[in-house]
Amino acid sequence: MSKEEITKMKDAMFEIKDLCVNVGKTTILKGINLTIHPGEVHAVMGPNGSGKSTLAKVIAGHPDYQATKGEILYEINRKKIDILDLAPEERAREGIFMAYQYPVEIPGVSTSVFLRAAFNEICKHQGAEEMDPLDFDAYLREKMKILNMDDKFINRPVNVDFSGGEKKRNEILQMAVLNPRFSVLDETDSGLDIDSMRIVADGINKLRRKDNAILLITHYQRLLNYVVPDFVHILRHGQIVRSEGKELAMKVEEKGYDWLS
Amino acid sequence: MIRNIEHITKSLIDERMPQWFNTLRIQGLSRFIETGIPAVSDPNWKYTDLEALKKLAFDVSENGELNEWELLNQFRNHKDINIVLLNGAFSVKHSDLDNLEKGVLVSTLHEAVKNNAPHIQERLTKYPMTDTAAFIALNQALNGPGVYILVDEKVVSNRLIHIIHVTHPGRQNFASMPRTLIVMEPFSEAAIFESHVAFGDSRTYFSNALTDIFMNENATLHYCKSQKESLKAFHIGHTRVWQERDSSFDGFSFMAGGRLTRNNVDAVLNGEGANARLNAFYSVNNSQHVDNHTSIEHRVPNCASNQLYKGILNDSARAVFNGRILVRPEAQKTNSYQLNKNLLLGSGCRVDTKPQLEIFADDVKCTHGATIGQLDEDEMFYLQTRGIGKNAASRMLAEGFLSDLLNTVKNAAVREKLNSLTRRSFEAS
Repeated sequence: MSKEEITKMKDAMFEIKDLCVNVGKTTILKGINLTIHPGEVHAVMGPNGSGKSTLAKVIAGHPDYQATKGEILYEINRKKIDILDLAPEERAREGIFMAYQYPVEIPGVSTSVFLRAAFNEICKHQGAEEMDPLDFDAYLREKMKILNMDDKFINRPVNVDFSGGEKKRNEILQMAVLNPRFSVLDETDSGLDIDSMRIVADGINKLRRKDNAILLITHYQRLLNYVVPDFVHILRHGQIVRSEGKELAMKVEEKGYDWLS
Repeated sequence: MIRNIEHITKSLIDERMPQWFNTLRIQGLSRFIETGIPAVSDPNWKYTDLEALKKLAFDVSENGELNEWELLNQFRNHKDINIVLLNGAFSVKHSDLDNLEKGVLVSTLHEAVKNNAPHIQERLTKYPMTDTAAFIALNQALNGPGVYILVDEKVVSNRLIHIIHVTHPGRQNFASMPRTLIVMEPFSEAAIFESHVAFGDSRTYFSNALTDIFMNENATLHYCKSQKESLKAFHIGHTRVWQERDSSFDGFSFMAGGRLTRNNVDAVLNGEGANARLNAFYSVNNSQHVDNHTSIEHRVPNCASNQLYKGILNDSARAVFNGRILVRPEAQKTNSYQLNKNLLLGSGCRVDTKPQLEIFADDVKCTHGATIGQLDEDEMFYLQTRGIGKNAASRMLAEGFLSDLLNTVKNAAVREKLNSLTRRSFEAS
């Protein structure tokens, strides 16, 4: 059996069907289809302006990105729910996570207070017990080790005075802490030096499991040497123009995007 | 506003009090009658309309007894030295005067006047009545027994002194005139917290408070005025700080408001090397109005002043900030900083903010700024994408807006008290 046939046999956990998205009056995504199964890593590559970040934002639920057509089906307790009907915080509580291309600074709110609040909101929603500050502190420190992060970040305001690399690591730290089922990583590799990228990639690899899935959005092939995807999709002018295995990324690295239409 | 004000002159004179004090009261009354209640045409009152206050008639005498003293417990902390004033009168029974540290003197102000405490006349007449603001004059005419605190030379008082001004009139429309005098002798240090509170929101009253603080050479005072009055109450308050050489005033105001609040903090830097910090947080909801005025006078060289005023407004609340900095020609090498930041959470709220810089020296550093804004949408969205709902996210951001301000408070006891008070204001909103 081919890989394609095997995956068809399992139920998809995340399915984008004929999705069109507007920002203001401009149509950015023009009919996207994408099916993702548990355990898979998909990469979406594309040149600037192809709609990569729009795809990430509409999955996270940003109010400026309006779906005009199509649906995003997500499996919750064996039922497929269109997450376009859910508020951003409801999506997060159901296990959808987006790592930001440009993480936001939150002055005055410490990383530990923020992350514990987020963690407990998700626990509460999923019927799990909330964690007290002491236990959470230990849990957080353990996760920080995965990303080689210094303890000093715990009490610092979220992303304030963090370097570019530290901000990206902080995104993956949040992914480790919140333990999502489906993650979109929006250009997590951009602006990272090679050492930081290895740390971030190792972190992502440690978080790969059979029951979760990752959508990597990237401009460059570089990250995909470290986090090897099962599928690569090329996004151009708001449409997926080609979907293949990991070799496609190498071709794009060699030839650029212009040979794809 | 004050019922029968023209006819109360006689009752101001107390035969047991020294002549000068009776004269001061009469001067205060004449000055108030002369100025009248300021109108919005007065530049100092441009954004705060006192028409509603003017229309009501208040009585100055109040002999209502308080039967529910246990209600006080919500404001008391056993770690502090609590000093309780009910309707402007000192309650010895409910104050912890037995626990005072050596070298810290606390009594009623009228008692100190009667006993002719050292320099008391000089201090109470320090500011000439001729250009005194209306409500300061009114307090000087009608003030209650008040409180007098003196921290002796080289004495370091370790426990927080908490002055609790409770206004709880037995009948409606009472005017309370709390009066506080704090004297910090040379090289002394203390932490003093003044709270203006009420039991609930049912009473209509007018609290017109006046606090004078004298900082002698090298004295350090950690001071906070906190205010949460009945929602039907008017509060007009003045804190005047006089600073001599190398003294350090670390001041904070927390205004949770009433119906209408006006808070003036004035500092005179009269000795080289003195520094004043006047920081504040105001948090108002519904149709509450809070007006903060500051005035810092740099009279001599090499002094520093810092002001950070932050406010959070909900619903259709209004806030006013006016920060005056006067640098006299002699006051070279002045370093003065002023910032007012407002966070608007309601759709109907409004802020009027104005710096007022009068600089007559040429070698000074003065920076000032003001911001008025709403919650940052990117920050909100970021928190939401981590599972935090809109209400919790906006509360978290509002607390974040406040946290760096509270971190400027150096004294741990003052900071802790402010932390718990401000947290309560978030829970209420």
